[in-house]
Amino acid sequence: MKTPPATALTGRASPGAVLAKKLTSFGNYLRQHWTLYLMLIPGLFFLFIYKLLPLYGLQIAFKDYKIFAAGDPWSAIAASEWCGFEHFAKLFGSSQFTKVLTNTLVINGLKILWLFPIPIICAILLNEIRQKIYQKLCQTLIYVPYFFSWVLIFGIFYSLLGSYGIVNNIIASLGGSRVGFFSDQSVFRSVLVFTEGWKEIGYNTIIYLAAITGIDVTLYEAARMDGANKFKQIWHITMPGLLPTIVLMLIMKVGYILTTGFEQILVFYSPAVYDVADIIETYVYRIGMGQADFSLATALGLFNAVVAFVLIVGANTVSKKTLGRSIW
Amino acid sequence: MKKKKSAGIALDASEKFVSGLAYVLMTLFALCAILPCLHVVSKAFSKGTYVTAGLVNFWPKGFQLETIQYILFQTDFFNALKNTLIVTGVGTLISLFTSITTAYPLSKPAFRGRKVITLLYVFSMVFFGGMIPAYMVVRMLGILDTYAAMILPFAIVQFNMFIVKNYFEGLPEIIEESARIDGAGDLRILVSIVCPMSTPVIATVALLYAINYWNNYFHAMMYTQSPSMQTLQVYLYNLIQSGSGYLENMAGGTLTTNITPEGLTAAAVTLSIIPIIALYPFVQRFLIKGITIGSVKG
Repeated sequence: MKTPPATALTGRASPGAVLAKKLTSFGNYLRQHWTLYLMLIPGLFFLFIYKLLPLYGLQIAFKDYKIFAAGDPWSAIAASEWCGFEHFAKLFGSSQFTKVLTNTLVINGLKILWLFPIPIICAILLNEIRQKIYQKLCQTLIYVPYFFSWVLIFGIFYSLLGSYGIVNNIIASLGGSRVGFFSDQSVFRSVLVFTEGWKEIGYNTIIYLAAITGIDVTLYEAARMDGANKFKQIWHITMPGLLPTIVLMLIMKVGYILTTGFEQILVFYSPAVYDVADIIETYVYRIGMGQADFSLATALGLFNAVVAFVLIVGANTVSKKTLGRSIW
Repeated sequence: MKKKKSAGIALDASEKFVSGLAYVLMTLFALCAILPCLHVVSKAFSKGTYVTAGLVNFWPKGFQLETIQYILFQTDFFNALKNTLIVTGVGTLISLFTSITTAYPLSKPAFRGRKVITLLYVFSMVFFGGMIPAYMVVRMLGILDTYAAMILPFAIVQFNMFIVKNYFEGLPEIIEESARIDGAGDLRILVSIVCPMSTPVIATVALLYAINYWNNYFHAMMYTQSPSMQTLQVYLYNLIQSGSGYLENMAGGTLTTNITPEGLTAAAVTLSIIPIIALYPFVQRFLIKGITIGSVKG
């Protein structure tokens, strides 16, 4: 009878042997598939420079960044003096911070509240249009604005909602007074919510429509046989079929609540509505690029990035646990 | 009779109601999406006095082409269009290349180092250094105010790369295996087998990139200063913001009554819509496919 090798007795080989074995097998793999590693280079190059190198710059959130502290602005990052959490203390103590945080949550919250259910209803209704050509036509038309940039949408709505635009002309002809849609603090948020809906509803509708198409048609036929009317069919078949998609979309919307809406607001807002529309990222942009206070802006950006990170990872975990689906 | 009652509202009636509601509401939504565009386009082609008086609704009134001509030939429109075309064209090609070459190795289950590198991409996707550090990197590289600044930072968008990777993972192994037996290497397999099998996802991701580059206003504005580097979005934004001031500065005495600040904005918007509408049938076909392909990992 042969003696079993040492590994079988102790359950493991010596660490050195394992490493050597791993290295030779990796060496073999590398020799066979070196082109695969070569392929990774362009992507990793851009990832490193434009996504990871900025993380090095984050340290100025804890420093008193002086652009002339060294020969060039980049070396000045390392050369500037540490100042601990000074910028964060200043930030959290300011009323501006509370304001922009509130605005971010309120604006994105309002968008979810008003706009989230609409694409679901649209998808269900679109699916009920029996003439396929007309269904396709409606779907195509509501999807168009999704491809417009925020600047383009601003141009369109500026033309529509300006003091002498068509909407104000209608209001005036009905005897009302003209509304400053872009300058009146009481309506500006509604403009943001409406234009967001205008851009995004078509796209989201198509996502739900795709989910409805995946529902087994025989379920509807069986329900009809049993005498279930259209409302019951929608409630008992379509809605359960849509539920995973609905939950996933909602989780993701909440996960991205701090990081969406920047470009829209940057394009639409003006000093007159800063009080109700200034969000974290627009504020970061103004203190950073406007007032050249790089440290303070980076501190606020870092705060935003950390909270957003927690929210997004949390959202993804919830989605994975409840639905078995994740975004990565 | 009895059975019908127990079902509440009768089958036929409920079907008619829902279908009626569908036609009415969806028509309203479709009009809501398209009428604002129609209004702006109408303004662009209408006589100046009608535009100022607010008499133009959804069809041109007093048709004229002077405003459009003014935008085309008296402003920086063509230069801005050229810049946007360069950024979109070159950017999309670079992004597509990096996304495919990154996605392919990461889609191989046996690829050594797959987990670590994937994690790197995921991490950088959910944790972003913020706009100021990103700006500092671009400044350090000395590419401010160049096309590179508007392209290279977006050369790889992690989310798009993952769409390609998910698609590659779903491809059948067998075809690749038989090519391997015939002696084809990884690069050869990617170029002549995997890519041709993946045209739907490649088209979709190309479009996602192209739309990102075409529509990007913020980075184009932040990373460039000189007027000659203006992209279409920056040009359009400046034109809308300056409104009547633009007219006074640019035109001097050459204006006719047809050209109004409102008309000019409308004309610039119209000219920016045209390329999108022209490509729309193609774009929407692939993007609808794309939504079902890989946006969410199953």
